[in-house]
Amino acid sequence: MHDGSGRIAVQNLTKRFGAVAAVQNLSFTVEPGSVTGFLGPNGAGKTTTLRMLLGLVTPTSGAATINGRPHHQLGNPARVVGAVLENEGFHPKRTARNHLRVYASAIGVPDRRADELLGLVGLSSAADRKAGEYSLGMRQRLALATALLGDPQVLVLDEPANGLDPEGIAWLRSFLRSFAQQGRTVLVSSHLLSEVEQTIDQVVIISAGMTRYYGPLEQLRQSQTSRVLVQPADAGELVKALQEAGFTQLEPTPDGRVAVSGATVKEIGDLAAKAGIAVYGMQEDRADLERLFFQLTAGQFSTGQAPYGQQPPPGAWAPPPGYQPPQPGHPGYQGQQGYPPPPQGYQQPQGQQQGWGGQA
Amino acid sequence: MMGNLVKAESRKIITTKSWWILLIPSVAFALAFALFWGAITNDLNDYLGSSDARELAGLLGISLGELPVGLLALAHGVNIGTIFPIIFGVFALAGEYSKKTITTTFLTAPNRGSALTAKMLTYIGFGAIYGLVIVGAASLGTVLTVDERGLPTAGQWLGVLGAGILATVLATLFGIGVGAVWNSVVGSVITLTIWMLIVENVLVFVSFGWLDITWLGGVLPNGTLNGIVGAIGAEAFGAAGLSVPGELDEDLQWLLQYTAGAPGAFAWWVSAAIFLAWTMVFFLAGWAANQRRDIT
Ligand SMILES: Nc1ncnc2c1ncn2[C@@H]1O[C@H](COP(=O)(O)OP(=O)(O)OP(=O)(O)O)[C@@H](O)[C@H]1O
Ligand SMILES: [Mg+2]
Repeated sequence: MHDGSGRIAVQNLTKRFGAVAAVQNLSFTVEPGSVTGFLGPNGAGKTTTLRMLLGLVTPTSGAATINGRPHHQLGNPARVVGAVLENEGFHPKRTARNHLRVYASAIGVPDRRADELLGLVGLSSAADRKAGEYSLGMRQRLALATALLGDPQVLVLDEPANGLDPEGIAWLRSFLRSFAQQGRTVLVSSHLLSEVEQTIDQVVIISAGMTRYYGPLEQLRQSQTSRVLVQPADAGELVKALQEAGFTQLEPTPDGRVAVSGATVKEIGDLAAKAGIAVYGMQEDRADLERLFFQLTAGQFSTGQAPYGQQPPPGAWAPPPGYQPPQPGHPGYQGQQGYPPPPQGYQQPQGQQQGWGGQA
Repeated sequence: MMGNLVKAESRKIITTKSWWILLIPSVAFALAFALFWGAITNDLNDYLGSSDARELAGLLGISLGELPVGLLALAHGVNIGTIFPIIFGVFALAGEYSKKTITTTFLTAPNRGSALTAKMLTYIGFGAIYGLVIVGAASLGTVLTVDERGLPTAGQWLGVLGAGILATVLATLFGIGVGAVWNSVVGSVITLTIWMLIVENVLVFVSFGWLDITWLGGVLPNGTLNGIVGAIGAEAFGAAGLSVPGELDEDLQWLLQYTAGAPGAFAWWVSAAIFLAWTMVFFLAGWAANQRRDIT
């Protein structure tokens, strides 16, 4: 039998679909008592990994366990792990209540549990409507109710905010937090860090089927240096002066400023004064997780782009095969590329209020 | 545990309509075929009672004009009805794949084997309900059309009832197996219907007419499934099973079996055993495919 630890362990997990390497040698663990975000861009292998964890997809090699056991050895698995999966199926002609009762009997919990959960996810009034008539967000709520039927110790969610309204998102966020505070385990995937940033404590970031970062979110946040955004009279002159002084981490910003990493406001100010370049403004740009996430996962579709920023925190970083440390140099100007465009839905941080909407 | 899963499978069936919607054509076709064959089997008895049939009478050793020809009507009614429990069976697993409910089904069962076992047990029960209803409809068609002298004895009728239920149960499991292998409701249903109603009959006819092969209908899926009930009628005329009178001409025997809806059939239990083998082939192949299949 399983050990009841609530721990999820993924070890050297690999999955190939024919020629497609969906997941490559992935390893991480998820501990109970916290919400772990499972992040990566589209096609990174999140869904495939979660489905392997749930015994729905057979790994090519490696292992994924919950409570020390593969899914088919959990006994009554729905009592250990509940799952909300992408495009989960409901029989379109079966009512929500009947759907929950079917699986309540499979798990061996009383029928009243179905009604309790319909209430919990706010579907009581639609309980006798057919699932095929449900909206995307309603189906997502029904999927969550199904996942919770067996009162599981571990909750695995694949893009659960998909289709939820802001109220639903805020509710889900606090629900997951309180679920984890009861000492249970939550693993939630997303392709947007901002979407889950306020919910998660731990994060596993993957890209192109490989682990890019795995550890506490706080550590990732701290690892990010701040940049200074400088608005000079002559950007070219300033870049030249900075480079001559040994500051090479320079990038242009879309609004024509120069972003300088690894230098203080004072250093830049002194240098500009010495070179006789007028500076109209300087602004310290705080660590921006979304940007870090983007750069950790960039290169999935265009190879050769090194992750942005600092060396990641020691211990937390799992260097993927083929990973190259950031090249010292001048990626921005030489590449004429600047910052990659922000991911869809991304907004400049305004006091940390983007994400799953509403107030936590 | 298995009790819970069986309960869940039963709920799945009764919370959607397909199980009783498929009962409608089961009843309609069983009734219609029994009515049709009942009407013409009276003529058969009349023919057998006529002087033209003296020779045949000697061969069969049964008093003329008193043959339980109602068994033929029953068999044809039941045989056409079995196509619907097959379709019903296809929905069991292939239907879950097409609606994607298979994900939750596998997530709430200890393992895939137990999910499939629960389905099998549940569908045996529902297959039996189909059998009961289909034999009932065929019996109705038979008593409505067949003259009293041609009706089967109570013992024969109970035999048909038992054989009919066995046939529909196996038919349901056969459907589950094919759906589990192929994983497509539409594909399985269309192919099976065409095979069972047309292709196999053509094969059996062609091989008999051109190649003089009499046994083909006794080994193929449709033939063996029909043989379970059909052989009872054919047996009553001495045209199937172990009690074949030596004198009965092979071609005539085949023709009588054909009339009973089971050309080439052996004894009913041999037919049942061979059809069970077909069912197992598909069921085990489906089982194996489901242990490995990725649900993405
Ligand atoms: N059944 C399948 N057959 C072939 N390739 C597949 C299959 N399922 C997934 N893949 C491939 O595996 C890779 C990873 O897909 P996966 O669905 O795990 O990504 P994801 O991280 O969940 O993406 P998204 O954010 O879009 O949901 C993709 O390249 C995808 O095309
Ligand atoms: Mg996905």
